[in-house]
Amino acid sequence: MVRAGAKAGLLGGAVLLYAAAVGMLVRLDELHLVGTQVTLGRVLLVLPPFVAAFLAVRPRVVGGRVEQPGPPAALAIGALAGGVTGAVGAGGLALVDAIGLDRVRSVFVAVSPALVETMTFGRGLGLGAAILVLGGLGLGAVGGIWRRVRHGLRRPVEVGLLTVFVLGMLQRVVPFMLDELRIERDWLYSRVTRGLTWVGAVVVLVVATAAAAYVLDRRERHGRAPLEEGRPEVRGVRRLVLAGIVVAFFAALPQLAGSIVSEIMGTVGVFLLLALGLNIVTGYAGMLHLGFSAFFLLGAYSIALLTGANLVTAFGLVAPRFSAHLDFYVALVLVVLIGAAVGALLAAPVLRLRGDYLAIVTLAFAQIAVILATSSWLQPITGGPQGLRDVTKAPLLGIGFRSAENFYYLVLVACVLAVYVSWRLAWSRTGRAWNAMREDEQVAEAMGVPTGRYKMLGFAIGGAIGAIGGAMFAVKVGTVQPGSFEIIQSITILAVVILGGLGSVPGVVLGALVLLGLPGLLTQLEEYRFLIYGASLVAIMILRPQGLIPNVRRMRELQEEERTQDAWQQIFAARQEEEAAEGATEAAS
Amino acid sequence: MSPLLEVAGLSKRFGGLAALDGLDLHVEEGEIVSVIGPNGAGKSTLFNVVTGLYPPDDGDIRFAGRSIVGLPPHQITKLGVARTFQTVHLFPNMTVLENAMVGQHCRTRSGVFGAILQLPSTRREERMVREKARAALGFFGPRLAGYRQEQPAFVLSYANRRRLEIARALATEPRLILLDEPTAGMNPRETLEMRDHIVRMRDELGLTVVVIEHDMRVVKGVSDRVIACDYGRKIAEGTYEEVAHDPHVIEAYLGKRAVG
Repeated sequence: MVRAGAKAGLLGGAVLLYAAAVGMLVRLDELHLVGTQVTLGRVLLVLPPFVAAFLAVRPRVVGGRVEQPGPPAALAIGALAGGVTGAVGAGGLALVDAIGLDRVRSVFVAVSPALVETMTFGRGLGLGAAILVLGGLGLGAVGGIWRRVRHGLRRPVEVGLLTVFVLGMLQRVVPFMLDELRIERDWLYSRVTRGLTWVGAVVVLVVATAAAAYVLDRRERHGRAPLEEGRPEVRGVRRLVLAGIVVAFFAALPQLAGSIVSEIMGTVGVFLLLALGLNIVTGYAGMLHLGFSAFFLLGAYSIALLTGANLVTAFGLVAPRFSAHLDFYVALVLVVLIGAAVGALLAAPVLRLRGDYLAIVTLAFAQIAVILATSSWLQPITGGPQGLRDVTKAPLLGIGFRSAENFYYLVLVACVLAVYVSWRLAWSRTGRAWNAMREDEQVAEAMGVPTGRYKMLGFAIGGAIGAIGGAMFAVKVGTVQPGSFEIIQSITILAVVILGGLGSVPGVVLGALVLLGLPGLLTQLEEYRFLIYGASLVAIMILRPQGLIPNVRRMRELQEEERTQDAWQQIFAARQEEEAAEGATEAAS
Repeated sequence: MSPLLEVAGLSKRFGGLAALDGLDLHVEEGEIVSVIGPNGAGKSTLFNVVTGLYPPDDGDIRFAGRSIVGLPPHQITKLGVARTFQTVHLFPNMTVLENAMVGQHCRTRSGVFGAILQLPSTRREERMVREKARAALGFFGPRLAGYRQEQPAFVLSYANRRRLEIARALATEPRLILLDEPTAGMNPRETLEMRDHIVRMRDELGLTVVVIEHDMRVVKGVSDRVIACDYGRKIAEGTYEEVAHDPHVIEAYLGKRAVG
């Protein structure tokens, strides 16, 4: 256990030094969450020792038995982990001091006096290092003991803190909305720091904690809700009402939150469409697709060519060698068909491939798509590296959709439709067949599912939805260039789906909001976008591999432990009843 | 009338090993036939080749008068051949009911547009699938009834997993069901129960059954006819009594000296 503590501490220290060396600590210090004291940078400074300690004392299976340190041990191991984290941080500072700040800075540009100032709390190297180590010890001790706090207390406080954090992060949205709703907001958000005020933060913390405690307590008293509660019709109505509320909220968002949010949400919407498409291929049908940006590109170029975009050449704007001047909405239908057809065509050669092999081939698709679009061979059509411009504004009854707010509504409608389609398919004969195929391809085939056909169907429907995303993107930006569709977009789409929860439509929506919405809202985060993607993927794989909002079936798979036990108890009880009943009838006869 | 299943000169090699070596057998409609033989005799390979998972190297398989060699597994299932696996293969994260509903796939036809538009025919079909799946699960009485149907399959006990696998096969509405060691790993009481179920499959559902089985009480209890295999060849055939006393069979199970 001591080793575990030291190991966690070293990892925590590495995270701390990394965050410092890439400049996150200083850059995010500008983002005030609560008052003037709590900045995102400071949270990042405080979190590693705490989390390292919390993880160091996690229960682990040793020789078939679950081992969890008792409270004193948890305290000590936590303090060790936190202390080591702090010491690594202090060691880093000392090293920088020994080498000389300027020389280090010539390699790590982010290692600035401001960084040293932040990490030593402005108290000089000696005292600062002491604060780091002692603070680490203290935070680690709290982190270690936190694991041992009763669940009924721990969870609500965690929810409360998370709520404060999220509200702090949404500082460019929520105050704006409160203003629009004419709700007094100065008690909650400061006009100076833009973050929460201390009063506001405390109120939010108390309310959120109390609410979470109430819900948890109720749940404990009435037992965990069964996997599927109520009759299907009641569930259906409840779900429809919930969906209605969500859609109404999003429909009202531009009015409430202003054009910046509309602009960001437009991008979120485009990627949500792509993620929903990928979700069908990878989440439902279980085929790992690493090159989904190919459909993004396909949709964008298709709509551009079908609605009469122009090429940029040395002689000015020219019509591409192939182009049509269709109405956007007619063209969109064609784009859906093209997406489906290309999806099915691409599926044909890879029907026999599974898992890793399929993933590699799909990765190549994306690369081929970009190379084709850039190539001089297709230059008369695609415009080569320059791409196409003057894409349609998708006019409908005289209204164009290029502006942020109008585009938001266009993409919202597309997203709602895609969500609806995904949801209907999930609970249909088709969805069942995909699911069976994902679970065990050979057995699904033996049970009468034509797996080849369903693979192609998955690629086709996913491709169609993805192509709509591409078409929307083209309308949004008005130009189509191969540079917008690099492999990194495929990774982003995949990250959205995995973070949200493979196969879970609400999860994918949340994933798109978190991964694309937050960095857009907080400009300070923008430059660390891919770092955040990577870190959140690693974290989600360790802490919650089923995703933020898991698919019902995935949840079964990955949260097996808890539920299996419940289920076994039920089965055991039922079996005993059965046997008792059988015994009685036998005795009677 | 031609037999329901007719296997002629069936051969299948894996590398140098002949799992099936010119096997001939036939199964009449309404029969219960047991296939016995020591481990590695090619029994499971027979099932895998008949259901289309492996292509045969040589020979012919005729089901209801037509050759099914070369058909993909899902079409063979649709023609009316269902099977279970020696090691249970469920869809573990789907509910018990959904597992059985997958079996109905080949008997239904609604597609993507029906699901999106929620056509009346699709909804009707979905209700029907649900009912038929419940009926298939109902074959095992209370064992797979009630709350269990909404649970994921992986929580089931071992015996119930086997039952569910059979129920899933029954949900494909087969004419012929191939059971690969349906009682393996079951306790004696569950084994006897399964024996009765196998007989019920024919008597109540009108199925033709081919069962691979090691438990001789079951073989004795259910079989109209027993076929013994070894090294991918048929070594004896007849009633249980005949096969059980056949010198070739005794030799295959116990070695040469036991015969003398």
